[in-house]
Amino acid sequence: MNDTDLKYLWQTGNNQIAINQKSDKSSLDKLTKRNVSHFLSSMKPIKIFTLLAGLLWVLGIGYVLIKLTIIAYDQVSPYFLYSAFFQVMLTAMAVIIYIIQLSTLYSIDFNKPVVILQKTLINLKASTLNVTKILILQLPFWTTFYWNESMFKNGTLPLFILQGAVTISFTCLAIWLFFNLKYENADKWWFKLLLQGKEWEPLITSIGILNDMEEGGVKSDKD
Amino acid sequence: MAKQNLHKTFHEIIEQHKGLLFKVARTYCGNEEDRQDLIQEIRIQIWKSLPKYDANFAITTWLYRISINVAISFYRKNSIRHQYAKAEMLPLVIDPLPNDLQEKFNLLEKFIAELNEMDKALIMLYLEDKSYLDISEIMGISVSNVGTKMGRIKEKLKKRFLNHKEN
Repeated sequence: MNDTDLKYLWQTGNNQIAINQKSDKSSLDKLTKRNVSHFLSSMKPIKIFTLLAGLLWVLGIGYVLIKLTIIAYDQVSPYFLYSAFFQVMLTAMAVIIYIIQLSTLYSIDFNKPVVILQKTLINLKASTLNVTKILILQLPFWTTFYWNESMFKNGTLPLFILQGAVTISFTCLAIWLFFNLKYENADKWWFKLLLQGKEWEPLITSIGILNDMEEGGVKSDKD
Repeated sequence: MAKQNLHKTFHEIIEQHKGLLFKVARTYCGNEEDRQDLIQEIRIQIWKSLPKYDANFAITTWLYRISINVAISFYRKNSIRHQYAKAEMLPLVIDPLPNDLQEKFNLLEKFIAELNEMDKALIMLYLEDKSYLDISEIMGISVSNVGTKMGRIKEKLKKRFLNHKEN
């Protein structure tokens, strides 16, 4: 089958189909009104919940921490105060990045050359990993907020060993995940365990396809 | 553009180019329900992008960019069902093809469906008789790259037809 046959086949096959389109004013109104609702419906409920919970956590705990710092700084354990402070700061950073990514995704202009826009979309999706990475950096602080002076004065050697092991291993794990949590590792078991690997598989395939598309040359102004 | 004019232009574009939207949807979606969802999604993006339309671009180049971009993103999400009104663009077979031609057309659609998301777009544009320059504008790759890729895709399709014939 040669090129002309292929084109003839495609055109004849499509010509047999007439599109019966019922398009009226009311359908356009529905279309324009559902922009915002579509944005929200395209988000999984768990993501909306996570975002709201994150916001509430940052605002609530942040408020309590500021109050404590102002009125009872001398009475509160500094380990609690600083651990909670870093934890809330990291959560706030993650929430801000997440909101920026979502709004960028929503306002993206689909009138871009296909390869360029798809690359932008994929990079945006892949960058959602940054949110997870920042949240993971909180891990060590969850092992330090309950420290206090009495623990250091009266603690026993086994307690120090246990506490040290927990804090060091959480710190190492957080640092290791921070550097290794990238889409190239999406096929690893620990990645799948943490981030539902299935969601990443089509993305990785697309990255391969896009790289292949770009290898032959992208469009320049000279073309 | 005043809102009234925008509505009118939108309706005219959709009416004049409904075939384009439908072909893109047909290339990327296997079943009718997904196609209707995809066409609706494309219409939304056309409506949103209309105020930014640059008249220096051919309208079809602009429409293909939006339609293919939406189709690929939609395709990647693996057909999400939305709870809103369908696009209501219903295909009607008005002039059935002879059996052998229909069978070949079905095979062509099947083989195109086996291609990856970018190759699907390239071959669809080629079969729609778009020049390599137009394809390069729509896809954002160089003209020579379009030529190389197209050669590979056509070869792939021809082999599939040949293998099918032999079996």
